[in-house]
Amino acid sequence: MKESLRKVLKFISSMRFAIILLLVLVFACVIGSLIPQGYSYSYYYSAYSERLAAIILALNLDSVFHSWWFVLITAFLVLNLLLCNIIRLPSLIKRTKAYTSPVNLPNSFPKAGETIEGVYKGDIQSFFKTLGMKSSSGSDRHYAHKNVIGVWGAWICHIGVLLLILGYSLGQMTYKEYTVYGVPGEMKRIGDTSLVLSIDDFEIGLREDDTVEQYTAVITVYNLEQGTEGRTAVISVNNPADLYGLRFYQNSTGWAATVSVDKEGAFLQESVVCSGDYLVVSDNEDLVIYFNAFYPDYVLIQGYGPATRSSGLNNPAYLYSVYYKGRILGMNVLLKDEVLTIDDYTVHFTEPQNYTLIQIKKDSFTFLAFIGGLVIMAGLFLAFYVQVSAVEAVECEDGSWKITATCKKSNMAFKNKLNEVLTSEPKGEENNV
Amino acid sequence: MFEIENTLFTIVMFSYLASMLLYFFYIAIKKETLSKVAFAVQLFGFVLHTAAIICRGIGAGRLPLTNQYEFATSFAWGLCLLSLIFIFRNRFYVMGAFVSPVTFLLIGYAAMQSKEVRSLMPALRSNWLGIHVSTAILAYGAFGVAFVLGIIFLLRDKLSARGFLDQHIPNKEKLDLIEYRSVSLGILFLSFTIITGAIWAERAWGSYWSWDPKETWSLITWLIYAVYLHLRVRRGYQGKGAAIFAVVGFICVLFTYVGVNTFIPGLHSYG
Repeated sequence: MKESLRKVLKFISSMRFAIILLLVLVFACVIGSLIPQGYSYSYYYSAYSERLAAIILALNLDSVFHSWWFVLITAFLVLNLLLCNIIRLPSLIKRTKAYTSPVNLPNSFPKAGETIEGVYKGDIQSFFKTLGMKSSSGSDRHYAHKNVIGVWGAWICHIGVLLLILGYSLGQMTYKEYTVYGVPGEMKRIGDTSLVLSIDDFEIGLREDDTVEQYTAVITVYNLEQGTEGRTAVISVNNPADLYGLRFYQNSTGWAATVSVDKEGAFLQESVVCSGDYLVVSDNEDLVIYFNAFYPDYVLIQGYGPATRSSGLNNPAYLYSVYYKGRILGMNVLLKDEVLTIDDYTVHFTEPQNYTLIQIKKDSFTFLAFIGGLVIMAGLFLAFYVQVSAVEAVECEDGSWKITATCKKSNMAFKNKLNEVLTSEPKGEENNV
Repeated sequence: MFEIENTLFTIVMFSYLASMLLYFFYIAIKKETLSKVAFAVQLFGFVLHTAAIICRGIGAGRLPLTNQYEFATSFAWGLCLLSLIFIFRNRFYVMGAFVSPVTFLLIGYAAMQSKEVRSLMPALRSNWLGIHVSTAILAYGAFGVAFVLGIIFLLRDKLSARGFLDQHIPNKEKLDLIEYRSVSLGILFLSFTIITGAIWAERAWGSYWSWDPKETWSLITWLIYAVYLHLRVRRGYQGKGAAIFAVVGFICVLFTYVGVNTFIPGLHSYG
């Protein structure tokens, strides 16, 4: 039993298993990018054959990155990295010690990479200096090492991947997200929190060519538990604001209109409705006015439908639908000054204006994922560009020095430098033997 | 300024075409001086290419890294830069005959794209854009070099039947080493690209990772090269196995750049 467990652990921590997992992850990611993710069941039955749609839904291929099997693969990868790093730790410490404090040279000389041997006949101190190394002084034996931390590159990189996965996973499990939309002057409660968001101002910055340069909103957030004093911030795309432990993003925009309802000529109700939202008639809840879309410069294109020529309010038009007891009664476009009449009710769409959609998020573990990313970068840099090397020089009877050096095969710079020094004529006659 | 850019771009295309043909003649005629001339023409094209990109940046009033044309021409620029460095450092001029067709195809692809300068959408108006995209260009360039080296590695035995190429192509061990150095550089830059992209996405969209197709394919590319790095330290998989992954990795790079934009809509649809 112990033996089989040992074998399983050995396999799980092996590089072969790591490669298999990486390839499986690649395959899963390819599937996840090719099959549209997160759509409704009916979408897959309409987009694919019935059999294929059934397979997609049964295997969670409609939500690959949140499926149990994707999480399982990632969990195995975490286990693999963790075990690999734990198992490698003693040998790395041993290697580091072997480089930094070698005993019984040259028997304990670390030979993890390529070994280069040669003879040097010049001044040994200047030899080490040329290589950019400081040797431990001894009468007939010198030793120097460089960039020992490079040994830890891959190990540190693995730690970075673990931190990144941990940060992302914890973030996914604990993050909170709210959406608030409205027009300037409106105040709305932020989800289940004690916070209230006031949209003080919203502006769309346009360029001369009518393209959008920036969306900017001025918001004030009030904490109902802390009195009436609010905190104000200006947010725009790429410039979120942090208030009360939440981050506020200027996410998107759309059109809103003031919808007023009269009954038998008398005012009944009025409110600002955003496109994509609806108004329930206050004295008849079975009757609902849905605001489908707004066209600031309306034009009807044959074969296409309603559209807008520009973003200027030259010919405003409101596309609406009327529902009664959940059933659609009709859909049409209202031009400026036109009204909608439904039995005793008269509906007016006026004062079109832009609304802002503000996304509010809290992910306490984003920093961990970013630290993970930075640690990965550091690990890769150490592994590739901070390469360990060590040189031992032992004085021979004829006064020359027997050089033994070690470095990674890919450490061309060190190898070239060493060969250059070994083949060059030593400076100063007094160093020649 | 755009007229100057257009003129420079046309000269760059012809320079890259000329350097490609010169590299081919170098191998066909086996005349050493041709390799130097081909390299010089490639370098000349690269200098003008740099000038063309600068002209576009000045004309557009922003970093020219935001649409298919701008990225394609920068991609070709990155590949040309990295290949010049690797050819020069290793005195490996035969590589030019393999890398120049890829550079020419990329610049040709750029020529087919719309050169219209469009105003930036608000999400792209970020300081992260320059860092994110420029590191992607260098990563892609390094992977392009690794791809070419992988191909040369896989064809080396067949190519070495010709005495000239046998003398002018490094041995398999050295090829593997140069390829590894190229992938190392590429994966370092790609990691930086992904991290800076995540930081930018967090500020722009409120989510540093959304499994957007471009994000997913950059992760796929990263994973492929991670497999490459692991294979290289396993006995029996060095050389050929790693070379295959260097080739596959670059195919992923191309799909990340062209395929995702063409076939899969997402947050990166603009570029």
